[in-house]
Order: sequence, then structure tokens, then C-alpha cells
Amino acid sequence: MTSSNATKLPNGTTGYKPTQKDLNSVSLRSLLLFQAGWNYERMQNTGYLWVILPTLRKIYGDKSPELQEMARLHCSTFFNTTNFLSNIVHGVDLALEAEDGVDSKDAVAGLKTGLMGPLASIGDSIFGALLPTVFGALAANMAMQGQPWGILIWVVVNLFIDWFRCAQTRVAYDQGIKLVTTMSDKLNAITDAACVMGVFMVGALVATNVGLSFDIRPEIVTEAGSIVIDIPNICNMIMPKLVPAVLVGFVYWLLGKKGMTSTKAIIIVLIITVALGACGVLIKG
Amino acid sequence: MIQWWQILLLTLYAAYQIMDELGPYSSAGQAVFAGLVSGVVMGDITTGLYIGGSMQLTVLGVGTFGGSSRIDANSGTVIATAFAVATKMDPQQALAVIATPVAALMVYTDILGRFANTFWAHRCDADVEKMAWGSFNVHYLMGALSWMLSRALPVFLALAFGQGLVNTIVEALNGDLAWLGKGLTVAGGALPAVGFAILLRYLPVKKHVPYLILGFSVTALLVTLFGYVAALNTDIKAVAGLLDNVALTGQYNSLPMLLVAFIGLALSLMYYKTNQAPALAAASVETGDDDDEL
Repeated sequence: MTSSNATKLPNGTTGYKPTQKDLNSVSLRSLLLFQAGWNYERMQNTGYLWVILPTLRKIYGDKSPELQEMARLHCSTFFNTTNFLSNIVHGVDLALEAEDGVDSKDAVAGLKTGLMGPLASIGDSIFGALLPTVFGALAANMAMQGQPWGILIWVVVNLFIDWFRCAQTRVAYDQGIKLVTTMSDKLNAITDAACVMGVFMVGALVATNVGLSFDIRPEIVTEAGSIVIDIPNICNMIMPKLVPAVLVGFVYWLLGKKGMTSTKAIIIVLIITVALGACGVLIKG
Repeated sequence: MIQWWQILLLTLYAAYQIMDELGPYSSAGQAVFAGLVSGVVMGDITTGLYIGGSMQLTVLGVGTFGGSSRIDANSGTVIATAFAVATKMDPQQALAVIATPVAALMVYTDILGRFANTFWAHRCDADVEKMAWGSFNVHYLMGALSWMLSRALPVFLALAFGQGLVNTIVEALNGDLAWLGKGLTVAGGALPAVGFAILLRYLPVKKHVPYLILGFSVTALLVTLFGYVAALNTDIKAVAGLLDNVALTGQYNSLPMLLVAFIGLALSLMYYKTNQAPALAAASVETGDDDDEL
């Protein structure tokens, strides 16, 4: 059905308001394939348009110049945010466009560029770093003991997160621009508290999952006899897990160096530990 | 020997996992899951879980933030598990010899995939100008193809043609290069340290350093204690073996990490509550509470 000649409101829309079904389609598209078109040039530009395109076609009418104008806005501009909170942007955007049509063009552009940064930093720290750390570490720990159940726990948690992602669209659409201001304070406090748990867990993981200790017991021969210096035991008396703590501290320092990447750091640690392991200074365990 | 159907299944999984990671994020796109899948396909779940779990810890802190490429721990896990089982390689050595180098190399196929998508994005631009929405959808979804091929193709090639190379490596590690094998085993134990250090770079460590110390020391104490008890148990069993009519019924498990995580959760909740408090106090002053302590 082409409705370019159908009755149009002054703002360029057909007067169509997105239904729950439309919002569900936005959620589903976003959940499954929002990042399929991710590219270096404008990152999630095509993805953003693809997610809301069916709804936009209803709002402006198929093949209408207004639809093209807004589609061009979405497709040609750089966009990149966390896919865990991106439905907030879609929801608020659709609320604006359904209300004001093409008149909302500047507001929509501003909203997208204004929200993508803050949402990305919250989403990356909670959903990209903290939760994968806690549940990934639990799953990995159980896996290394031969138990797959930790993975199942993680899957269940992620299904809850998927539900949360889908639920955002409706809330964001209903609240519109109001949501953005009311949420920001609370989210900062939550992010901060989440970081406390993240930092605590890393400390715990260093103590359990870096399996490394010294294995040299040099013998000092004097005239009175020989003394064996039991370095592993001396280290343990100072502090158990001394070697893992020092190694993590060293890599942390290394990563602060200019031009250092995580891949380079992995290769450097690989070379050092292979060398020290091969000549028997370090042992696993 | 890796069977053709095993190569097929693992290739299909490699294609799926990246789409899961980008989309529903069910954790099927994570290394430990990759270990489970390749372990099941290869018929040795323990090896798969071990390699997947280790790789998971290595990349714990490496996210794809802002579109940066990260080392591909999943493909590394799939290939390392397949060869570890097929060539009876020591899992710890497979971790350092295959999983980590493969994961680091496949950063480049990730970059290639993202480049390919730039081409599709330009086709999408043209479709918008023509208002050809059907063809826009097709060109958009071609992006998924770039992603899937960036993982599936290298995994397929490695599994199909890599066996000779891996056999040579395994023979060498068991022969002349035994010293290297020893070193690689140690490296396997050290790799998670990199993951944790990267993670600390992303987290506001300087602000929360007491919690880092607390997490480390509480866990170090507990894990040492649990280790001593296990060692003690072994000794007691040895003594009991010398005596007759002694029944030992004690069961000693390792430190449950979930409970350690609960300690962290409790601290985090306490932090949240105290952080909320100033806002509440300010609110109560506004409502005219004169009996404030200060």
C-alpha cells in the first residue's frame, strides 16, 4: 500500500501511532540483528535504520519524501552505542517522530548523538564488563573443574537481560524525552556500586585463578655444610598467592605504557612465562 | 582424526556464535560456551570445558568497547579443543600453543569483516536514495554474512587443513622440545592474569582500591585454607589406610566461588546504600528536620 497521496498531517506523518506490535518488532529486530551491519565508517548507522524502518514506513507512509528524509538522517549519520540500552534511544526517537514527524528532525539528531555516549559508558561497564566478569568467572571456574552448570546459570541471567532490553522500548516510548533526565542520576549510583563488586571480584579471581608459583630451591654450599633455600615456602610464608598478585600488578603496569595493546600484553606474558617455565623457575599450581 | 561432520558442526557453531555475541548475547558467544560445544562435538567435554574456561578467564576484561576488535577467544577455543582431543594433546599446552595464538591472529579476520560491512553500508545509502526498502533489507542483512564468514571460514580452514601441522607440533613437544612443553604449561596458568589486569584497566580501580585488596586477601586466605584441608584429608586417608576398621566419611569440596561473589554483592549493596544516603539526608533537611545531629 503506497500512501504518498493519502491524507497527510502538516508535520508529514499519516497520523499513525506505533502500536505494541510495532514496538515488539523494534525490540526483536534490535535484539537479534541490530549490529549485523556494524562497519568502520559509521558503525551502527544502517542497523539503527533497519530496526525502526517498518515503523517509520507506517508513520510517514511508504515512498513518501518525508520517509526518505528521515531515513536518510538515520542512515547517513554515525551512530554507536551499547546494544543493551539502545532500545531506549529507539523508543524515545519513535515517540518524537510519531508526535512531530519531520519537524522533530533536529531533536531526533540531537537525541541520538546526546544519548549514545552516556548510554554506551553505562552499558559497557555493567553489561559489557561487570556481569560477564562475575558470571563468566563462575562459569569458567566450574568448567575447569569439569562442571558445565555455571554456563547454564549465565544463560539464564542473560535471558533476563534480553527481557530487560525488550522492555525498554515500551517504557522509553511512553515516557519519551522525560525518561532521559529522570534516569541519569539513579544510573550513575548503580554503575558506581556495580564497579565495587567488579573490583572485589577481580581481587578474588586473582587469588583463585592465576595458577603460578616459584619452583626453585637453590642450594648454598659452605664449608660447614649446605643450606637449601626453599623459595616457594618463603613466598608462601610472606603471603600465599604472592606470584599471581605480582604478575597481575606487572601486567596492569604494562598496559599503562604508551602503545601497549591487550594482544601485545598477552604475547609478552606468553614469552616470559614460557621462558621461566622452561628453565624451571616457575611452575603451574 | 577430526571427522567431516565434526568440522561441519564446529564451523556452523563458529558462524552462529558471533551473531549471538552481537545480538541476543545468550553467552553462546563466550569462550566457556565454545568449550562446552566443541567438547560435546569432539566427545571430550572435560577437555573442552577446561580450554574454554581458561580462555574465558583470559579475555574476561576484553570487551568490544566502541567497536574495537578483541582477541577471538571463541575460535581459539574451538580449534584448540578440536586438536587437543584429536591429537591427544595436553589441554594446558593446547591452550598456549593453539588457543591463544589463533585467538590473537583472528583479530585480523574480525577487522576484515568490519571492513566488508562498510561496502554494504554504502549500498544501503544508495537504497535509501531510491527508497528501495526491500533491497535495503537485503543489503543490510548481507552484513550478517560478513560477520559469519569472518569466523566460520578461518575455523573451517584450520580444522580441515591444520591437522598435519598440529601433529608435527605435538610430536616435537613430546620429543626434542619437551622443555618448551613445560614452559607452555606454565604459560597456560599465567594467561588469566592478563585478563584480570585488562579488566582492572577498565574499572575505576583507584577509586575502589580497598575492595580490590579485600577481594584478594579474603579469597587468598580461604582458598589456602581449603587447600590445606584437602591436603590434610589426603594425609589422614593415608594414615587410615594403614589401620584397620577405620571408616572415613568426610567430604571436602573446593572453595565455592558463588559465595565469594555474594560477599562482593553485599559490599556493593552497602556501598549503594551509603551513596544514596547524602541525597536522602539533604531531602530530610529540606522538609524541616531541626533535630539533625550536625
